[in-house]
Amino acid sequence: MSFRQGFRVDVLEGGRIALFSLRANRMRTVLTTLGIGIGVATLLAIVGIIQGLNTSFHNQLATLGANTLYVSKFPWVFRGDWWLFRNRKNFTLDQVARIRAQAPFISAMSPAVQRVSDVARGDAQVSSVRITGVLEEYLAVSGYEVASGRFLTTSDDEVTRPVAVLGAEVASSLFPGISPLGQTVRVDGRPFQVVGTLAKKGKVVEENLDLVVLVPFRTFYASFGKGRPMQIAIAVEDAGRVKQYEDQLVGIVRRVRGTPADQPDDFSINKPDTLAQTYEQLTRALYGVAVGVGLITLLVGGIGIMNIMLVSVRERTREIGVRRALGARRRTIVLQFLMEAASVSAVGGLLGTVVGLGTAKVISLITPLAADVRPETVFSGVAFAAVVGLLFGIWPAARAANLDPVEALRYE
Amino acid sequence: MSEASGTRQSALIQVEQLTRVFFVGGEEVRALRGISFGVTRGEWVAIIGQSGSGKSTLMNVLGCLDTPTSGRYLLNGKDVSRMDDDDLAVIRNVEIGFIFQTFQLLPRETALANVELPLVYRGVPARERRERAKAALDKVQLTHRMHHRPNELSGGQRQRVAIARALVSEPSMLLADEPTGNLDSATGEEIVRLFEQLHKAGHTLVLVTHEPKLAARCPRAIRLSDGEVVADGPGREVALGTGAGVAAVTGGA
Repeated sequence: MSFRQGFRVDVLEGGRIALFSLRANRMRTVLTTLGIGIGVATLLAIVGIIQGLNTSFHNQLATLGANTLYVSKFPWVFRGDWWLFRNRKNFTLDQVARIRAQAPFISAMSPAVQRVSDVARGDAQVSSVRITGVLEEYLAVSGYEVASGRFLTTSDDEVTRPVAVLGAEVASSLFPGISPLGQTVRVDGRPFQVVGTLAKKGKVVEENLDLVVLVPFRTFYASFGKGRPMQIAIAVEDAGRVKQYEDQLVGIVRRVRGTPADQPDDFSINKPDTLAQTYEQLTRALYGVAVGVGLITLLVGGIGIMNIMLVSVRERTREIGVRRALGARRRTIVLQFLMEAASVSAVGGLLGTVVGLGTAKVISLITPLAADVRPETVFSGVAFAAVVGLLFGIWPAARAANLDPVEALRYE
Repeated sequence: MSEASGTRQSALIQVEQLTRVFFVGGEEVRALRGISFGVTRGEWVAIIGQSGSGKSTLMNVLGCLDTPTSGRYLLNGKDVSRMDDDDLAVIRNVEIGFIFQTFQLLPRETALANVELPLVYRGVPARERRERAKAALDKVQLTHRMHHRPNELSGGQRQRVAIARALVSEPSMLLADEPTGNLDSATGEEIVRLFEQLHKAGHTLVLVTHEPKLAARCPRAIRLSDGEVVADGPGREVALGTGAGVAAVTGGA
């Protein structure tokens, strides 16, 4: 009998016996399966929800533009003293123009200054709208698209014309069913003539990008005061070289702002990447804890398997003796019990996968959390369960194989 | 004598100076103390002795379930006394057909599946396995019960299934351990007749028992006492202690 043939026999016979014994002890099989199943379900539900969160976050960040840098005196993410950043000098329009002139890699650029106000048309009113003062190139930098009418122009800005472009949600709320073009809206009582509307853009991290009113930059200053710090949005030509451009930009901005050489930067260059990194740091910890909990559940399931397998070995001591007497080798016995353990676990894994996916799906339906379950997650759930079964089956299987045939045959 | 039997072509079993020492709770127990004998092909030999005589230990060694502490055991020309566990498993499968006092059938399998088992471990394809198992069951007149589980069979039928299982792999010898011990006398007689048939058909039989009446029906018997061979001769004389012609064998020859 060649080794390969022997191995084939071992696997076939081992598998047959495993199935046989699983069928013979249905209740026990189901209970053992449950232990592993719950572990896999927990793990998959958690992983699914976290993957869903990640995906939706990354999709949202993508709308901010990969080739866009945001320069302002505040960093987007900071630890420590807010007032340190607040005390930095504001950017001026003159500085914006000089940065533009010195940086040939900038394809579009616009300062943006913001306040949150109510916007009214007659009795109708929309709250918490971000009124944003911008320049003509903001359209290119921001990724907004004009749905109707026109965007703001340089001449609007130069003569501080009281015109406005409405975000999709502001337009649809104040002008249901009619065109807002040429109409007047009031921001804090000041009238603005609507010259255009923006296409719908959605949300980025709970910030509604359609709840916005864009006005010319200087009009904003004239209407609402010059005290607010601006953020400068810069689109660069080649997204692949953002890092390089960022370094150059630091030098240019320092020169323009006259930052002394021995002082640190008195401004921050922000990227959607920075947000993504912060987010990932936060979720990684969460992920770790959640996966840890799932693993502990699996461990408990695995110990259940080991327990059941030890009982099974004891129960079948004589059977093992008979098989050994009739020519079964040690590894045949080992395989028989390993396959039994692995198949119980794999069935549990499959069950857990279904339950886990279902749970993730249900959670995504009844809560704002998005679930995203990838095929590889499902596969690894089942495979992982089988591996757990194998690992926890090793000891019982080894015990079975190491039984002395003479003793085993005599076992009552 | 050992020289003569060692060169004989048909010597199936040749044991020389076999010892087996156990350590039980730090104490040395010498279960076999230098046993030598030979069995030729086609012989029917009873190994007889009181409990504690070492006959069970000898059976385990002859059946390759246990290895001797010292001495040599040639089975079918192969020295099996120094083989490792895997090789012994193959020897058990190919050379030996076990028949146990308690039948040792797998309770959840049918009679047919039980008989097929040795062939499974030999890697025989399923269809051939089935045919050979049916043929073996036919030899013990049990084909009509082959789809029944052991608990649906009588004691005698169970032992016949076990004998079919021992025969199916066409081993060099059948090794029976108190084969009638769990049967009433009528059924026991039935099994002994079956052994007689198998003997006539040319099978080599080694039968381990404590019953003199059973040993007396074997052409040859070897009596063990305290781990040594104390008599070796015609079954009737050794088992019932009659006749003066019994060769007293102590130690080596």
